[in-house]
Formats: sequence, C-alpha cells, structure tokens
Amino acid sequence: MSDRAFSVVALIACAVFAWVGWKIEAPFSYEPIGPKAYPLLLLGLMAVCAAWLLIKPDARADWPEDKHLRFKVVALLGVVFAWALLFQPAGFIVSTILASIAIGWLFDATWKGNVIAAIVSGVGLYLFFDKLLDVNLPLGTLWGF
Amino acid sequence: MDTLNHLLGGFVVALKPINLFVALLGSFIGTIVGLLPGLGPINGVAILLPICFALKLPPETALILLAAVYIGCEYGGRISSILLNIPGDAGALMTALDGYPMAKQGKAGVALSISAWSSFVGSVVATVGMVLFAPLLANWALAFGPAEYFMLMVFAISCLAGMMGDRPVKTIFACLIGLAMATVGIDAGTGVYRFTFGSINISDGIPFIAVVIGLFSVSEILLMLEQSHAGQEVIKATGRKMFTLKEMAYTWWGTVRASLIGFVVGVLPGAGATVASAVSYMVEKNLTDTEGTFGKGDIRGVAAPEAANNASAGGSFVPMLTLGIPGSSTTAVMMGALTLYNITPGPMLFTQQPDIVWGLIASMFIGNVILLVMNIPMVGIFARMLYVPTWILAPVILAISIVGVWSVHATGFDLILVTALGVFGYALRKLGFPMAPLILGFVLGDMMEQNLRRALALSDGNVSILFHSWISIVLWICSLAVLATPFLMRRFKGRQIPTAPMGG
Repeated sequence: MSDRAFSVVALIACAVFAWVGWKIEAPFSYEPIGPKAYPLLLLGLMAVCAAWLLIKPDARADWPEDKHLRFKVVALLGVVFAWALLFQPAGFIVSTILASIAIGWLFDATWKGNVIAAIVSGVGLYLFFDKLLDVNLPLGTLWGF
Repeated sequence: MDTLNHLLGGFVVALKPINLFVALLGSFIGTIVGLLPGLGPINGVAILLPICFALKLPPETALILLAAVYIGCEYGGRISSILLNIPGDAGALMTALDGYPMAKQGKAGVALSISAWSSFVGSVVATVGMVLFAPLLANWALAFGPAEYFMLMVFAISCLAGMMGDRPVKTIFACLIGLAMATVGIDAGTGVYRFTFGSINISDGIPFIAVVIGLFSVSEILLMLEQSHAGQEVIKATGRKMFTLKEMAYTWWGTVRASLIGFVVGVLPGAGATVASAVSYMVEKNLTDTEGTFGKGDIRGVAAPEAANNASAGGSFVPMLTLGIPGSSTTAVMMGALTLYNITPGPMLFTQQPDIVWGLIASMFIGNVILLVMNIPMVGIFARMLYVPTWILAPVILAISIVGVWSVHATGFDLILVTALGVFGYALRKLGFPMAPLILGFVLGDMMEQNLRRALALSDGNVSILFHSWISIVLWICSLAVLATPFLMRRFKGRQIPTAPMGG
C-alpha cells in the first residue's frame, strides 16, 4: 500500500518536473546534448521504476505499529521544524534549550535531568562553538542581538 | 621506490601537529560514534563534515579527521556488539554472534582486546593494500576518457543494485533520485538554471551538507526514537583484559584471511563492511568450525568479522581516491567533502595533490596505532558511554547537526531544507529504500552528466562512443552481469543474501 502511494506521488512528481524540465532552454550551446536531455532521461527512468513498484509493490513498509510511537515521531518532526524556524529569531541558546527539553521528553527523560541537560547543552555548545571554535551562532534577533 | 618516497612525504604531512591532533580527535569521536547503537560511520562523518568547513580546516586535515572517524567507528562498533548484543554499527553485526556469548561467559575483556587487535590487523592490511594498489589503479585510470568514466560510474551504480540483493528496483530508484537531485541548480555546461523555481538558495544546487545532515542525522534520530533499547543490560567486563599469545596464534590465520576478504570486498563499489564481515564469518565457520563452537562464543568468530569490517573500510578508500568513485556511502560523503574544497578525487589526485592522498594514507597508519592503544587499555572508558541515555544524546546530536548546517550559509532556508530532507529520508527508509545509492548518486550526479555530455560532444551526438573502447565494453558486460545477479539468484535459490542497509 505504502509502495503504491509512493509510486503515485513519484509519478506525479516526475510529470511535474518533466514539464518544468521541458521548458529549459539554453541561449547557446556548444554541444549536441544541451542541458535538458539528461534530466529528462533520469525522470523517464524514475517513472519506469515508479510504474514497476505500482504494479509489483514490495511487502508492507514498516511504519511504527504503535499509535503512541507514531505520535512521537510526528511530534519530534514538529519540534525539529520549530527549532529550524526559531533558530535565528530566538537565537541558538534559547531555541536549543527549548528543543532539547521537548526532544528529551519524547525520549522519556526524567524531568529534572532533562531540564539540566538541556540548559547545559544549550549554553555549553554555544560557548564551545561560538567562543572556542569561532563558528558564529545567532543570539536571537528577537532579543535585539 | 617512488611509492616509498611518496609515503615518506605523506608521513611528513601526517605528523604535522594539527594533523596528529585531528587523527587523535577523530579516532576518539569515531570510537564513541561507532559504539553508540544506531549511529554508524556515515552519521559520524555527516555530523563532523560541516564542522570541518566551519573551522576552515585545510582539505588534507579535514580528510584525515573524517577518515579517522570512519575507521574509529569500525573499531567502536564491536564494543556494544560484545557488551550489549546490539551492534554499534552495521559492520559489527556478526561480531555479536560470538562476542556476546563470550562476554556472558565472563570473557568480555578477552573478546574486546582480541577484536581490537584483529581490527588493527585488518586496517593495517587494508592500508598496505592501498599503498600497493592505489597508485597502479590511478595510473591505469589516467587513460580513461569521458565515455569510460561514464561507464565506470554506471558500473559502480550497477554494483550497488546487484549487491544490495533483495530490492534491486528500489536501489536503482534511490540512485536515480540522487542523480536527479544533483541536476538542480546551475548547469555547468551552459549556465542555465535548472529546477530552481527561481530560488537563489538552491541556485548552486541543493547544498551537499544539507542533504547529508538531513538524510543521515535528522532521519537517524527519528529512527532512534523508534528503536529504543531501554532495559538492555550492559555486561561488565570482568576478569582478564588481555588476550594471550596462544589466543593470538589461534586466531591469526583467520584474521589474515578475513582482512584480505574485507579489503577486496571494500574495494568493490557497493558492498561494504556488513557484507565483508558476513562473508568472512561464513568462510571461517566453514573452514575451521569442526566442533560446532561458532555462535557459542568462539574467539575466532570474534576476530574474523572485526578484521574484515575494518579492512573493508580501508579498501573502500581505494576506488574513491584513484577513480573518484566511492566504494561506500561514507566514502561518498568524504568525496563530496573534497568536491566542496574544489578538489576532484580521481587519478589526477595522485599526481596533482600528493600531499592529500599520501598524507591521508600515512595518517591511517598512525590512526590505527592510536586506535589500538585507545581500544585495549582504555576500552572501559568507552564502554561507559553505553550508559549515557538517549534523551541526552539525541538533542545534542541534533544541535551539533544544526550548528553544522547553519555554519555553511547562515540561512534559515537551509535549516528548513534539512528538516524536509530528514522527513524525506525517514520516509524512504521506512519504505525500504537504501540510502547508500541515493547519496552515491547525488555525489556522482554532476560528474556523470558532464562525462556523458563530453563523450557525446566528442562523437557529435553519436551514442556508439559508449561502446567504442574495450574498457567500455567490458564495463558494460560487468554492469549487466551484476545487475542480473539478484534476479538470477532469486530464480535459482530461495536463499537470502545478506543485505547492507547502510553500505558501511
């Protein structure tokens, strides 16, 4: 089932990209092939593979069976996404502490240990990368840095 | 003689304080990453790669660091195999078969030390193999034209599809996805933008580091969430720590055989540490297991697969350095790293950048000595890492990954892209798509297209140039043969071939 759904999505994606790819035109070209033949060839081969999977799908994909676990995976994705969005505005330290607490909780951390670990890693990694290794990290535009 | 001079030059590079320091650091980090279940060399290299750039390390230093991490992982994987019965990385799967029973019998110390020793032998054999064969291969590959190069890449990809056994269509599909992702961005031939949808963030192509971190770090954490190993008891290493000379002699030939097998398997594109250790374990079992002790804590069953997986890691450097075709997903990432430094691995590397190649090889000798020292007397310190809970590790790994991505372009777009790629990678893995061909395709994509177009430009669009030289013809035949293998195997035998989920 998952294979079939994936194949359908892949076929649609191939069609969209082929349509976009078809319109690639080089203003000048010194070679016989040009920039669009190769991507179109790949898209064609991908469509063949997708069609194959549509006709002969493999065994079921192993999505987490447990509802609780499924919720956790989605929640973790949400946290990483929020982390990515907050990174610049809230700064490294704040976003990392918040995200670490949330992730630790998803990994069944103890409350106290989790908060301590999150603060230590947020501040510690900032000092390590920004001060010691000279990798510039944002302190957060929200707080006026 | 020439080789010896180059090697001496390499030692001059490798013995520079900074390079010695990163070899030490890489060995240490590698062993830790290797022993943590769920994290393998590819994850270690992926997480450290952006840090190398952020620190503006020179290319040879970056490569030495990444190589030390890679080999360190192959050493470290055995620790959790033996003490926890969970392989720390895919290559250490077979080590658990005899290592864990040994630990349960109270011989954990012996299992750990003999496997560290055989890892060392395997790695050194592979590094000597590199010294002997790499220059020859590079010399031979100098004669390759664009058509031969294109065919060589087709062969490498076919090998992956053939070796990965049960799902050839998905392997090819994954590879095509990688190749297609590589076409995004400005076209080197004509300067036209392709599939960028007007975004300046991907006008240079999908950033390599975002792909690597997304596929091998973010999606890995998602998988870690599912496979929590809570409740598994870590066996305390008690009793004798060192193996005896008698035990060393007893395992010696098995170790040597496994090292040679591992090296050959490692050189072949596609097959990685997992296949190497499985093959060598089976060979030892068939050759020497007369009393049926394999699987019940036979010391030879610990030594052989460890030698093989280390040797295969060393072997996989050979095609990457000499041909510019990586032999495993980890070397694919390293090759991508070199490309970011505007260095193209391939036969010219040996003549144009001898410092990088020979510095790396020399540092691998040094790194192995460091690792042997770290892994015998200091193994207890590493074993303690197994007690660090996942809820501390997971956020820290993600934080370092995000710092890595941020350090390249400092844009929020890249962070969102990484998250999206993480979801994509997670979904693909859950659907049973292997990741090694995808990353290989992404790394090779640009070269593959350029070589194909160059070849066809030479022949003015005539496809027959791909069948022109005998090298191309042989490569065609080999590619078709390896591609046909899984289909034929399935027809003749119902047997499953060991599959490599990560390709080492």
